[in-house]
Amino acid sequence: MIPDFYTVDELVIVCLSRTIKENDIVFNGVASALPFTAMALAKMTHAKNSVFLGGLQGAVNPVFPFLPPVSVDQAFSQNCDFSIPVDEVFNMGNSGKLDRIFFGGAQIDKYGNANNTVIGDISRPKVKLPGGAGAFSLSCAAKKFTLWSSRHFITEAARQQKNFTMTDKVDFITTVGHVTPAGTRKELGLRGSGPDLVVTDLGVFDFEPNSNVMRLKSIHPCTDFGTIQACTAFPLVFDESVKFTVPPTREEIAHIRKIDTLNIRKKLFDPMRLELKMVFAH
Amino acid sequence: MSVCIKENKIMSLVEAISLVADGDKLVMGGVLTAREPNALVRQLIKSKKKNLHSIDGAHSFAVDLLCAGDVLGACENSFAGYEFDLGLALNYRRACEKGTVKIRETDCNILLQQWRATEYGIPFMPMPRLGGSDLLSVHPEFIQMQCPYTGDPVTLVPALKPDVAIIHAQFADVRGNVKIMGPIFKDKLKATIAETVIVSVEEVVSEAKMKELQPTIPYYLTTAIVKVPFGSHPTCCYPNYAYDRKHLKEFVALSKTEETMKEYLGKYIYGVETSDDYLTLIGGEQKTSFLQSWKQGKDQWMEVFK
Repeated sequence: MIPDFYTVDELVIVCLSRTIKENDIVFNGVASALPFTAMALAKMTHAKNSVFLGGLQGAVNPVFPFLPPVSVDQAFSQNCDFSIPVDEVFNMGNSGKLDRIFFGGAQIDKYGNANNTVIGDISRPKVKLPGGAGAFSLSCAAKKFTLWSSRHFITEAARQQKNFTMTDKVDFITTVGHVTPAGTRKELGLRGSGPDLVVTDLGVFDFEPNSNVMRLKSIHPCTDFGTIQACTAFPLVFDESVKFTVPPTREEIAHIRKIDTLNIRKKLFDPMRLELKMVFAH
Repeated sequence: MSVCIKENKIMSLVEAISLVADGDKLVMGGVLTAREPNALVRQLIKSKKKNLHSIDGAHSFAVDLLCAGDVLGACENSFAGYEFDLGLALNYRRACEKGTVKIRETDCNILLQQWRATEYGIPFMPMPRLGGSDLLSVHPEFIQMQCPYTGDPVTLVPALKPDVAIIHAQFADVRGNVKIMGPIFKDKLKATIAETVIVSVEEVVSEAKMKELQPTIPYYLTTAIVKVPFGSHPTCCYPNYAYDRKHLKEFVALSKTEETMKEYLGKYIYGVETSDDYLTLIGGEQKTSFLQSWKQGKDQWMEVFK
């Protein structure tokens, strides 16, 4: 069926997918619905020769009948080219052979530090989050990574309570961005170059090269600048090159719906925001 | 790591878990919602083991249940949860927030190097420089230094040695050879470095059959073998059975308070005499054949996840 509209979850996946370039070696570990769909999409469209390393079972180039809701399952891995032990993936990260990794964050700050560990103080946690899996070490050593959030948009009430996902200061740094209280990546002696792109449900960001602060690159068609600023705790950095996000193609959306037939991707988004249907211009 | 050679290593769940001491450092087989050693975890709770220190990668139900059953004293894991399917592991969350489980959160790759140091018989491993994360304040034992050869910045992480590994697999023989089908994850490494290795299996096979299968974990590394069909339930153990999403959903719902969790523990752990009784409780033949029905094709497989 040829799609005649798309929704925000699908737009985020298309944007994540576009951060993958042809021949890139790309890995995602846990909590994988959006990255796995994006990685599969990239291999069907603009990056057919990218290498898709999927999950803690080390599935190489999996082609799955449907995306299961958990990342380690035979439904996901049984048709891969072959599997490698997960420590080989970490070895590749340590030795600089992973081109791109995806990391989500319950909180992300303007320097691209992300928190997956705890809301509040770790000695008296308000919410203990699941943890970063391999995000800390990989964020130090791997070449580049894409940060993402499906919850950049927050309600008026959450804004009043300052419950920002895109926050001024994360409660705990799990995944290391460009600048931390302990120093810059260079000062810290980290091998990898850090996050270069951030994809959210409101827009796409890169980092301003001098300040290393997140910079708005494109605004999704479902929102506007005012909303993005209202949902972001720090003042947005942008220049005259900011534009609207290039919409997905019908082909991309059709692929996504086929890859993720169980609609796992939708669980990550505010149900209200999934109701907005964006129609294709032509 | 201690070599164990016996003619017959078959034990009951109670006997096998009696080899675990309070305060032991624990590793578990499987990863996330795949092939966790959950029958052994249930027995740890039933045997009232206390203050275990988990040093492990990404897990889901096993860690959550250990927290619910008040078995863990410290959790040095990289991840505990149900990903975006069923969300946070609420018992783990509550135990960390109340302070009954000490948060020693770590990273898969760091932990792997610490296990590796034990495997290689060396006291530490150097890693490409780790910095900038608050996880370093949780782990003051990590040391920053310059490489004496190149001057490159590195971080040293000390060897970590588990006292006990609990693993669930598809096959074993009475001598203790173990065959894992599908992804092995770090189960072989865990069996190599742990002092005591307890393995539950779906099926005990003859030594001739094991020779045909070729063991994943050799007999001289294992301490005890326990036969427990559906021993990973409610996580998956392919090709035998898929993930029991409906059971996990019920578990997560009951995890919301300590009171409702007590109901779950009473029903599925304290009130259960045998492994067969457990299978009856989770839904008997109807449930077990549903969890095996993934083999019938894509549509049926998708049903498992609905």
